[in-house]
Amino acid sequence: MLLRSVRRRLSPSLPPAPGPGRRRAGSEAGTAAAAPYQVVVIGGGHAGTEAAAAAARGGARTLLLTHKIGTIGEMSCNPSFGGIGKGHLVRELDALDGLCARLCDRSGVHYKVLNRTKGPAVWGLRAQIDRRRYREHAQKEILSTPLLTVREASVEDLLLAEPEPDHPGKCRVTGVVLGDGSTVRAGSVVLTTGTFLRGMVLIGLEKHPAGRLGDQPAIGLAQTLEKLGFAMGRLKTGTPPRLAKDTIDFSGLEERAADNPPVPFSFLSEAVWIEPEDQLSCYLTRTTPKAQQIICDNLHLNNHIRETTRGPRYCPSLESKVLRFPNREHQVWLEPEGLESDVIYPQGMSMTLPPELQEQVVKSIPGLEKAKIVQPGYGVQYDYLDPRQLTASLESRLVQRLFFAGQINGTTGYEEAAAQGVIAGINACLRVHGKPPFVVSRTEGYVGVLIDDLTTLGTSEPYRMFTSRVEFRMSLRPDNADARLTHRGFEEAGCVSQQRYEQAVKMKAALEDGIATLKSLQFSISKWSRLIPGVPISSSRRSPASAFDILQYPEVNMEVLARAVPEPLGKLAQWRQLAERLKIEAAYEWCVVNQQQEIEEVRRDEALRLPEDLDYFAIDASLSAEVREKLDSNRPQTIGAVSRIPGITPAAIVNLLRFVKTNHQKAERLKALPQTGRYLPGKMHSEKATSQRRISAELPEEEPESTFVKTPV
Amino acid sequence: MALRRALSVAGRRWAQPLCSAPWGDTVFAVSSGHGRCGVAVIRASGPGSRGALQTLTGHPQPPPPRVLALRRIRDPATGETLDRGLVVWFPGPQSFTGEDCAELHVHGGPAVVSGVLRALGRLPGLRPAEPGEFTRRAFRRGKLDLTAAEGLGDLIRAETEAQRRQALRQTEGELGRLYQCWSETLTRALAHLEAYIDFSEDDNVEEEVLSQVDATVRALEREIGAHLRDGRRGELLRGGVRAVIAGPPNVGKSSLLNLLCQRPAAIVSPVAGTTRDVVEVALNVGGYPLVLSDTAGLRDATDPVEREGVSRARDRLQQADLVLAVLDATAVPTEPAGLGAALGSLLPPTATPCILVLNKADLLRGDGAALRDACARGDPLPPAALLSCETGEGLGRLLELLARQLVRLCGDPLAGSPSLTQSRHSLHLGDCAAALARYGRDRRRDLGLAAERLRVARRHLGRITGHVGADDVLDIIFRDFCVGK
Repeated sequence: MLLRSVRRRLSPSLPPAPGPGRRRAGSEAGTAAAAPYQVVVIGGGHAGTEAAAAAARGGARTLLLTHKIGTIGEMSCNPSFGGIGKGHLVRELDALDGLCARLCDRSGVHYKVLNRTKGPAVWGLRAQIDRRRYREHAQKEILSTPLLTVREASVEDLLLAEPEPDHPGKCRVTGVVLGDGSTVRAGSVVLTTGTFLRGMVLIGLEKHPAGRLGDQPAIGLAQTLEKLGFAMGRLKTGTPPRLAKDTIDFSGLEERAADNPPVPFSFLSEAVWIEPEDQLSCYLTRTTPKAQQIICDNLHLNNHIRETTRGPRYCPSLESKVLRFPNREHQVWLEPEGLESDVIYPQGMSMTLPPELQEQVVKSIPGLEKAKIVQPGYGVQYDYLDPRQLTASLESRLVQRLFFAGQINGTTGYEEAAAQGVIAGINACLRVHGKPPFVVSRTEGYVGVLIDDLTTLGTSEPYRMFTSRVEFRMSLRPDNADARLTHRGFEEAGCVSQQRYEQAVKMKAALEDGIATLKSLQFSISKWSRLIPGVPISSSRRSPASAFDILQYPEVNMEVLARAVPEPLGKLAQWRQLAERLKIEAAYEWCVVNQQQEIEEVRRDEALRLPEDLDYFAIDASLSAEVREKLDSNRPQTIGAVSRIPGITPAAIVNLLRFVKTNHQKAERLKALPQTGRYLPGKMHSEKATSQRRISAELPEEEPESTFVKTPV
Repeated sequence: MALRRALSVAGRRWAQPLCSAPWGDTVFAVSSGHGRCGVAVIRASGPGSRGALQTLTGHPQPPPPRVLALRRIRDPATGETLDRGLVVWFPGPQSFTGEDCAELHVHGGPAVVSGVLRALGRLPGLRPAEPGEFTRRAFRRGKLDLTAAEGLGDLIRAETEAQRRQALRQTEGELGRLYQCWSETLTRALAHLEAYIDFSEDDNVEEEVLSQVDATVRALEREIGAHLRDGRRGELLRGGVRAVIAGPPNVGKSSLLNLLCQRPAAIVSPVAGTTRDVVEVALNVGGYPLVLSDTAGLRDATDPVEREGVSRARDRLQQADLVLAVLDATAVPTEPAGLGAALGSLLPPTATPCILVLNKADLLRGDGAALRDACARGDPLPPAALLSCETGEGLGRLLELLARQLVRLCGDPLAGSPSLTQSRHSLHLGDCAAALARYGRDRRRDLGLAAERLRVARRHLGRITGHVGADDVLDIIFRDFCVGK
């Protein structure tokens, strides 16, 4: 099945697979044909499917437009999900009821937690995925989501109207124009066109327009965006050749076995679908000097490498690895593409040489001497949007109600795309319902860091998530993503199911009770030493010590404690997930407590919002020309964001604060602000009533927080 | 619906973090401008200000709000009286920042001000304010409209401006360069550790990277610790740096002393072992006081008087702050390794800073280019100068080397007023060193935690040398490693 689809994509002359031109799902069937959609999502990749599903979960009548329903859920590059930093994103998406974690738990063939020995804050959940199973599950899920309609069509243009007053932006999107000239009206539109905007596929000296090998690029849309005045840039990425499994000799290669038991991605999964012993292995091989020779001798045949478009530094082609770090072995992971698949994905060998030379490079590598290429590697160059033109809800400043998510914003990776998709989908839906946007702060999640980095600082190379980008890494862990996001997703975004919410609330309560029990159980150090003889408990520590203190020792876990003190700890140890999470909470307690203060600081700065339409060149504040330019091009939305822009001095921040404050007071004398719809993103993590009470206690003066109120229509 | 309501009540508990943190920290700074002045105002803002006021004045109660009171101000650690000054207590929200605030009006001398700042910095929950931080706090509390009063606006500008100028001065100074160098070392170590966390599973980031990071962190911790423990800086400046001239007999040690003090203070003769006792002179080099001692040539002497002289010379060497090791330029190997060995046989390697002086340059056959090169190269040699006591050739370079060592030993008195900078620096350096020490402890347990220690250390150092963002770290990662698939 997979091979067939690969071949089909290889030869565009074959007619497209017959399929329904239009499918509707759920209760909408039959009545929705004429109804205007509330949210229209363009693009059926990882960002698009997550966006459409999130908007529909939030209660919006949603239309997903894609070139081919058959490619929904396609993994166009590597057959894996997660990794270090990326696994965090998948967990957070799952906490917001996104699709990909659950799909992965139903289609993985090799689950492995990376960084196992480096501490739970940096564990990287990862899995090799069966492409076919993932695609099938994704399509089944998307086509059966209530309120969601899927239609095959290309989008050529946007329908625009006068802007809404009280919002920045020069116009408002009201729908889309399809390839056949027909129009679809929409309350908001999410653009997730990936690499398809003026996409160009490169192999050797050949170039042809395509978003992905065998798929048409989007040119009309690219022109529309340009006409509207969006700043666009160009990026490149690539993918390796695919190899026939039965032509590879694995016998001399290093094997990497999967975890037993596998750790699921989703908080809802007790276990993954596959039996642990049925999992497939990955194999490691390395390049030789011969590969370097072939690449260096043939640079003149390699357009993709010679051009100056920025590629990723961390997901480089084999060519750029060889050029930047010559005379070294480079790792190549041979990864299975599925249980029944006879294709192997050589991770680390992304190449754009002409196909016959790719074959020579492949054959120079141990184990691959006789390997057959079933699809050559290729490079893709594509337009991306400067993401600094977006707000933290991923809505564009230029065109109201137009949202962008995924690779079009300059990111790379399924997880990064999917994460933006969920946030854009939620916000497109909230916008239609007239509710305040849903913004995840940097202090709450990797997805917050991702979007804040993009919208505040922009990017000049494909952006990938790393744990090193995250300030509060000790607090934002894969294990507690539900505690960070599920409640907000349920209350504010409305995108979380009742079942998930209940489960998360139950876990949260159990954790709190568990910590309280552990803290209240106190014995002298000598008694602890008697109870747990194998553990060197420091005699210098404060006595008595609580069970929670003792749990911090690397040698101690809940099982050990429960054996020592069966009552009341026995029942805590029985619930496996709870026991694991209690252990992590204990190990990181001091660190999280310390970070809490800094997190408060950042949140307070993020609560100070700047007006969206501020003209930094005109304002009467003591700011240097250089600072004004930076502020104007980055358009920070909060004082917190201002302080993360390189080169902005503390003095400039203070001056900006003074300007905004005094300016606001003048404005306030002119009109009284409405009292509804007030929001402070930094405070949104807490329950609404509480947060408002706290704000009023914190800001005793005449409602200064309303300075930066965004008033939804 | 009822269920939803019940859940929403349960959900309200989410507002609190699992492990509750003490709320809000307290910051302090001199807020009366900079430099020497009659009265300095030190302000603290935050929930800990009241406690700080009580601890420093030893009074169980703060004075009535907004009323000046005369108090004795003590260092709580030593009980020593720092000053008698006026204190004011502003309970929030009726204060400049809207938080609880305390002000100490003390005498403006640097010693008093830095003493009070140090005492404040040692209190739990208190830390030096960042530039502009009082203003930001005021803004958060909705207090900034007070700045409509023009004078206050100027004051804030002065605060941040003074800090900017000070930072500039420090980075130009010798000390600033030292901090900058630490900062770069630490950032690189952090970047390598981050690379190991983010990439080692799939990419060519080897285990060795970790042991290098460990070694770097240990060395840095020692260096910063030594720098902090070096409480003698001020003392050195007052009492003078004790420099000892040492070397084999008859290499021209006494000639060097005479050359430096420009008078025949010591007897000079061509006979080896002329100097028996220690000859001492006080000098001023580049504004720094220097006490220079000439000692007997180091050899296994047979004459009992000379033997006593050599023993005194060795005692002096033990106590020296700085050693001028003199060798005969005509009798030493010309390549750096050989020179290093010659020096090593004279002096056992110690932590005492050293300057190598190669005397009798005038007697060298040829132009001495090889030796000059070796001197200029430095590492593995200490700073070295080729000199002729006879002609005075090379004296300029020696004086320059001396001045440089003196700056390092005494600290740079030009680097801002000690009240604002040095106490702030030593607080942050102390926190930095403490975090580095904890790195070692966490390293085997949890690499994420260990990295967090380095991040904390980096942040403290960054308060002195400037901020380093995630992108700088990533730049190092991508420069030093071939990562990615």
